[in-house]
Amino acid sequence: MVQSRRAHNADDTRNESADRKPSVAVENLSLTYSDGTEAVKGISLSIPKGEFFGFLGPNGAGKTTTIKMLATLLEPTDGTVRINGYDATSERTAVRGTIGYMAQETSVDEELTAKENLRFACEAYGVARAQREGRIDELLDLVDLADVSDTPAEQFSGGMKKRLDAATALVHDPELVFLDEPTTGLDPKARNRLWAYFERINENGTTIFLTTQYLEEADQLCDRLAVIRDGTLVEDGSPDELKRRVGGARLEIDVDGGPAAVTEATDIARNSALFEPDVAVDTTEDGLRVTTQFASDHGTELLVALRDAGISVSGFDIEEASLDDVFLAIADDQADNLEQPGEGSA
Amino acid sequence: MSTPDFGSESSRVPSGNGVVGDIWVNFKRWNRKAIRNPTPVFLDVVMAVLSLLMFTAVFGEAGALALEQSGFGDVGYVSFLVPAVLVQVSMASSVSSGIGLVEDLQTGMFEKVVVTPMSWTAVFAGKAAAELLRIVLQVLVVLGLALAIGGRIETGLPGVVGIVFVCLLFGTWYMSLSNILALVTRDQEALDAAAYALLFPLLFISSAFLPVSSLSGTTQIIAKLNPVTYAVDAVRALVLDRDVMTVLEISAFGGIYDTLAPALAVLIALNIVFGATTIALLSRASSSKAD
Repeated sequence: MVQSRRAHNADDTRNESADRKPSVAVENLSLTYSDGTEAVKGISLSIPKGEFFGFLGPNGAGKTTTIKMLATLLEPTDGTVRINGYDATSERTAVRGTIGYMAQETSVDEELTAKENLRFACEAYGVARAQREGRIDELLDLVDLADVSDTPAEQFSGGMKKRLDAATALVHDPELVFLDEPTTGLDPKARNRLWAYFERINENGTTIFLTTQYLEEADQLCDRLAVIRDGTLVEDGSPDELKRRVGGARLEIDVDGGPAAVTEATDIARNSALFEPDVAVDTTEDGLRVTTQFASDHGTELLVALRDAGISVSGFDIEEASLDDVFLAIADDQADNLEQPGEGSA
Repeated sequence: MSTPDFGSESSRVPSGNGVVGDIWVNFKRWNRKAIRNPTPVFLDVVMAVLSLLMFTAVFGEAGALALEQSGFGDVGYVSFLVPAVLVQVSMASSVSSGIGLVEDLQTGMFEKVVVTPMSWTAVFAGKAAAELLRIVLQVLVVLGLALAIGGRIETGLPGVVGIVFVCLLFGTWYMSLSNILALVTRDQEALDAAAYALLFPLLFISSAFLPVSSLSGTTQIIAKLNPVTYAVDAVRALVLDRDVMTVLEISAFGGIYDTLAPALAVLIALNIVFGATTIALLSRASSSKAD
């Protein structure tokens, strides 16, 4: 792989010592803007090398503020940030040489061609002259822009600009890449292409720090997710762990016999101990919904119990929890917080 | 509020390119952008030459009369106007500096460049160098066209070098101003409007098109406070090879230096004040202090 000149000196020692250092090590990170807004309130986080890390949260939760602090664009009010073993404030230039950063808004020089944008990025990151052209061709291929390499970026579609932007963040083969909502506003095809591309660079050993609004994206790509709300980390784990924590699956049961049967069936579900200790039973129009992590373990037993009580089941469905549920659960908590007087900042 | 953090990066290790290399990288980028988008470069020149032709055609007679009354009786109006249009093209060209900055701020290229290991001083030095090169080329083109339609440079080739130098010195002042406006407005349309709203009053209420002494009372006071007057007077001294300054009566240096010395002093002072303000604002914009 190509190394930038800047990173090259550290290359020999990296294998021995720096490899053990996490790509991101954050302790008690806080940021308060001068108007008093506490955007980030004491986050601690460690991301090992090579991880595909997803950072989720509602709008205004502090995602971009956090990513900017990690990428040396904002100085924390409090706490420490170490990126690839370097301090993000006192060793800022060293950090900048080892990271790639793709901002939320597409950032390419529209007057320059795809190739010229990449060449400028190569030069800015000090990629050795001998490696530049090869690196540029490799990246143009990777993001499928080889055919239009000499076309000014202003003639590109939104998706093409995004892909060019992503490529320019990777010219120096950084150890860690920050991707701030990289696929927002893209059509599904362009999104899938970028996903494949991110997976490839991750397989090549690059640590990825991704923020996204698309839960499907986080689910598919990320090894690990953290959820930020109101400037505080509220969840941290693999996508599966997060789903399980929110309450697993939903069991939907429809019954014949009108409201009386629905009420009776609901009572049976509520009084059964099948799904304890984690269970919620709600009435639906034609039946009931049982939300529990034990849905698939004991669902059939509930159906048997209903039949034994003489209730005719007209339909049932088990739906696994999705990250949407995780998100909704978090949003619900937030709504609860906002309702408490004197609490909750925007 | 945050203060400029001059050199607060204790980590400022030289980048892989070195400072000169970083300047070169940015110099190339901005030159390439100018070549890709030549219309403004071309229009600046056209506007300046049009000014020269129109003023000569429309005010030729009146201009000659005003020159006569102000002691420039032996000077052709074309030669008198050449300094004005050279300063005009320098001003118009300098506006592109602020526009380039605003575009980078709006497209996110600014942040993208800040997050590289290049030092921001090298980034802006490279950009400024490309813009100064552009002023030199535009001034030389306008000068060539002015000579072709009858203007004369009495001080010869050394005078041309001096003229270019004065235009650059004046251009850096207007570049600073356009960068300050860029960082304050952060909006291309607002900057365009502000820069052009300033361009014409600054040019007209100065010694550019008529001698200051032939202007009316209030206008004369404004003209005396206007930086354009000093730039035009300095260029005019070099074009006509005589002391043309009427604002400050200085005779300590002799000949054209009685104009050049005070005019350059004023331009240098303006550059120091506006340059320092621009550097402070740029430093703040590229720093990572939260606001």
